Amino acid sequence: MSIILDGLKYLAYILIFPGFLFCFLSGLLLCGIDRKLVARMQKRVGPPILQPFYDFFKLLGKETIIPVTANRTVFLIAPLVGLAAQVVLQLFIPVFSFNAFHGVADVIVILYLLLIPALSVILGAASSGSPYSGVGLSREMVTILAVELPLVLVLLSVAKAVGNAMGTGLCFSLTDIVNYQLSHGSLITKLSMIPAAVAMLLIIPGETGSHPFDAAEAETEICEGMLAEYSGKPLAVYKLSHAVKLLTMTTLFVALFLGGIGGGIERAMMTSAIGGAFCFLIEIIILFLLCTCLVAVCISFVHAVTARLRIEQLFKYYWTVVTGLALISLVMAWYGL
Amino acid sequence: MSIQHFPICAIMAYFLGAFLIVIFGKNRALRNVFGFLATATPLCLLAALVKPIMLGSDVIAYWMGNRVPAGGYAIGIALEVDALGLFFGLLIATAVFVAMLYSFSYMSHDDNEPQYYTLFLMLCGGVMGFVLSGDLFNMFIMIEILTFAAVALTAFRNTANGALEAAFKYLVVGCIGSSCILAGTIMLYAQAHTLNFAQLAAFLPGHLNRATIIAYAMLFIGFCTKAFIVPFHPLAADAHGAAPAPVSVLISGVLTKSGLYGIIRLTYILFRVMNLGTVQFWLVFLGSVSMFVCVTMALAQHDFKRLLAFHSISQIGYVLTAAGLATALGVSSGLYHAMNHTLFKGLLFLCAGAVLHETGTTDLGKLGGLSKKMPHTTILFLVGAFSISGVPPFNGFASKWLIYQATYQKAVESGNIGFLMCTIVALVTSTLTLASFVKVTQSVFFGQLPKEYENVGEVSIGMRLAMGILALLCILTGLFPGFVTTYLTEPAARAVFGTNTYVNAMMGTGYAQGFGLTDILPVSFQAAGVWSPISWLCLLMIMLLAVAIVAVSSKYDQVSALAKAAAAAEAAETKAGPRFGSGALAEAKNELFFGGEESVYSQVGGDDLFWGFKHNWRHYFSFMHELHSGIVNDYALWGVIALALAMLYAMIIL
Amino acid sequence: MILINYLASFFLITLGLYCIVTKHDLLKSVIGLSIMDYGVNLLIITIGFNPGGTAPIYSFGELRPESFFVDPIPQALTLTSIVIGACTTAMSLALVIKIREMYGTTDTTQIRRLRG
Repeated sequence: MSIILDGLKYLAYILIFPGFLFCFLSGLLLCGIDRKLVARMQKRVGPPILQPFYDFFKLLGKETIIPVTANRTVFLIAPLVGLAAQVVLQLFIPVFSFNAFHGVADVIVILYLLLIPALSVILGAASSGSPYSGVGLSREMVTILAVELPLVLVLLSVAKAVGNAMGTGLCFSLTDIVNYQLSHGSLITKLSMIPAAVAMLLIIPGETGSHPFDAAEAETEICEGMLAEYSGKPLAVYKLSHAVKLLTMTTLFVALFLGGIGGGIERAMMTSAIGGAFCFLIEIIILFLLCTCLVAVCISFVHAVTARLRIEQLFKYYWTVVTGLALISLVMAWYGL
Repeated sequence: MSIQHFPICAIMAYFLGAFLIVIFGKNRALRNVFGFLATATPLCLLAALVKPIMLGSDVIAYWMGNRVPAGGYAIGIALEVDALGLFFGLLIATAVFVAMLYSFSYMSHDDNEPQYYTLFLMLCGGVMGFVLSGDLFNMFIMIEILTFAAVALTAFRNTANGALEAAFKYLVVGCIGSSCILAGTIMLYAQAHTLNFAQLAAFLPGHLNRATIIAYAMLFIGFCTKAFIVPFHPLAADAHGAAPAPVSVLISGVLTKSGLYGIIRLTYILFRVMNLGTVQFWLVFLGSVSMFVCVTMALAQHDFKRLLAFHSISQIGYVLTAAGLATALGVSSGLYHAMNHTLFKGLLFLCAGAVLHETGTTDLGKLGGLSKKMPHTTILFLVGAFSISGVPPFNGFASKWLIYQATYQKAVESGNIGFLMCTIVALVTSTLTLASFVKVTQSVFFGQLPKEYENVGEVSIGMRLAMGILALLCILTGLFPGFVTTYLTEPAARAVFGTNTYVNAMMGTGYAQGFGLTDILPVSFQAAGVWSPISWLCLLMIMLLAVAIVAVSSKYDQVSALAKAAAAAEAAETKAGPRFGSGALAEAKNELFFGGEESVYSQVGGDDLFWGFKHNWRHYFSFMHELHSGIVNDYALWGVIALALAMLYAMIIL
Repeated sequence: MILINYLASFFLITLGLYCIVTKHDLLKSVIGLSIMDYGVNLLIITIGFNPGGTAPIYSFGELRPESFFVDPIPQALTLTSIVIGACTTAMSLALVIKIREMYGTTDTTQIRRLRG
């Protein structure tokens, strides 16, 4: 009996919250907000906020064309695997006190799960056989390489900072990181974590491939690069998975640095039974608002004010400026500042 | 037959097979039967030892000719199989078995097949004898056997580009390594008057003087030569590139493992110097440097097998780093990775062999688009590529995950920020590995198919079977890490730290205590759990669902009927120019999109793929290119310098 | 006497390594390898040698605590090592012949198709 219940519970996690349904709704909504914000910053009217939803459903209705040179299987499977991995990644990131999957060291797991969606785009692009996709995937891979080093440093410094505070020396569990923040306040209030938080803010546009770090998808230059050959349903899936990536990266930031914000509500609401459910709802809303703020700051704003970097400039930027910031944080956390 | 005799039978099966093939090798069927039996028998024999040794923590000590020790002195030659030896023995037996299966069809077009199988089995016997031996000089002889066999096999296709050259370089530097091992062995003999492992293990920890420590440095460098640790890595690249694919599997999956085994046995069990921070630093430093240098070298390669060869050393660097941590978690994760390395690197080399077999080249610049011609090989290659880059849920992830934890934990425990650098280097190396496999995937299996490979087909079922076995093992060891750690790596790691059991099993109970030895068992063994597969099974199921959806949705046709008709009509016409006009719109729909000039319509070559990365590192890459000059004297010089540095370092730390 | 042996073996090993590292000729590399082997063999023999000791040929009855003989094990090791050395030389010379046929030279600086 309990196995069935557990199974149902996990099914609900995967399908509804924080799985597919939640990802689908809030990811596309974030995407729409982002587009609207950029448009307003550029003094345009911009599309309606629900435009990504319309785009998504319209793409679903379009014909799917597979190029003759493509490897059919990989071409079609890659987007689905990417989306699945993206959603699984979302399951690993705690929403304040709620966590769908516990891992022993899910910080490293997340590092690797972040690779899978990108890898699926790369493989799908490679399998199409298009030269534009070739250029696009090469740039995407370099972007991944560029982002990976600062991201590793950020995650390790957070793990070290929380580990120090908890007395265990290291803490690779996101659940513990968030729980620590719930009881001790957000990590961003710590001096040593501020450079890491800034680095993470700079990593988010790189990971999601938005301006100025969108060399891989440069529409005006290489025709959306890796997506050049995609159309119809697979393209819709890619667009969705990109939208979910916005959500994932921002929730990851919230979990790493702003986890303490849920603490107040938690304590206020834990007293009553209905309060539990209500508090949960509030937490989700707060999470979404935080995500929106983050998108506004590090994606929309940066998008509106910058121009695209060349790929080698992008690499250099990440391995010098952002890595430097993360390294400062790591060293400070290491010596217990 | 009691299990006492299993190890010697396992070794003899290979040698017996080798001699039988010399005699009866002219007959193809007979040769294959002997080859199969000679590789399958040791695998079965060693698998039968898993229960008593891995689970019952038994140690088998076997004295050749029943010459048991007299008066506390070992007179005879001993074989001793503890969990560590058995672990490596099993790896070797598996890799060898698969490589043999693959050889049956892969080598069928070569001449001198009997000689190939003889050398092949001599190499296997040498390695198996090496890891099961309980005697230092015996180890040296086995090393020589395997070096000769490996050199001869490297030069086997002596018409291939660079095969002879690679063999000669390997021979020269390999012989410097072997001489180091011999000199180190005899210096230990001069001090301890014994060559037996157990006696040496009991004697040496209390007698670390200049002579023994120099001997340690010499043996260490000798084993490094066999494992191709950093100053010796060009040899691996040359040898792998030139050798036939199954031999590459042996060199990377088996020969390098023997070197690693030697280093672990020497450092942990014979000398017990792993509690010294300086020795830990030495191993971890070498490991990290190998890891990083070789992965960057691999990124710059444009030959499939050469690229794989550099990756091989990079992964060995992971193992050495983890083994150098001297924690239980470190050793067991290192061994786990060693096992995974044998599996996925074997798979990748076999895939490279399949490509070479069908197209006749491994040049990344000339290949492309093979996934349409060789779909199974592509899938198998992707499994291998995902495994080596540590993409969950494949096996590389499980072991790398443990290695990161082990290094980070060590950093926190020792308060040394250097170990933290290791974690970072390991993580970055992993991404670089992924990058270079994206490059291979794009340039070999995806992208555009060159005209001359229109007629290539899938490889024979025998070769696919061999690759399939390894791919299956890659997935299984990734999905059930708990099983692997419980039954294989943890007993082996215990054996690494439980020297007294080893000594006593050979020399009689109480011998080790007579020398005042105590086991250096680590404080906590259950440091980290294995990653939970439940959530991963969810992921896998979603992926299967995705596969199913795609399999059912057969309505997407790549070339519509209309387009086929149009293509047939246009076949006679000239194909130059863009295809949007002339009434062939239906065909154009499924064509690749391109705008502008025809010259834009070209694939990005493997070399240029990561331009953005390479541009920032151009000085480093040109420096490394200059350094790997291909001149045998230079490589020998690196070896001599490494030897000198190792001796100097050994003298300083004592 | 013994010291000279040790020095000689050290000298031979160094000479062999020097020859391998500096001489840009395949044959000279092979010669270097052989010299190094001889050096190691001399080292082994010297370690087992006891000045004034007799040949280690005894039956069980004849062995007494005061018997003084050279250590037999290193001699056995040397034999094996010499055989292996001969194999090395044979193998490398075979390779040199083949390389000469293929590349038309024995200059190591010319034989570098595999590099980088």
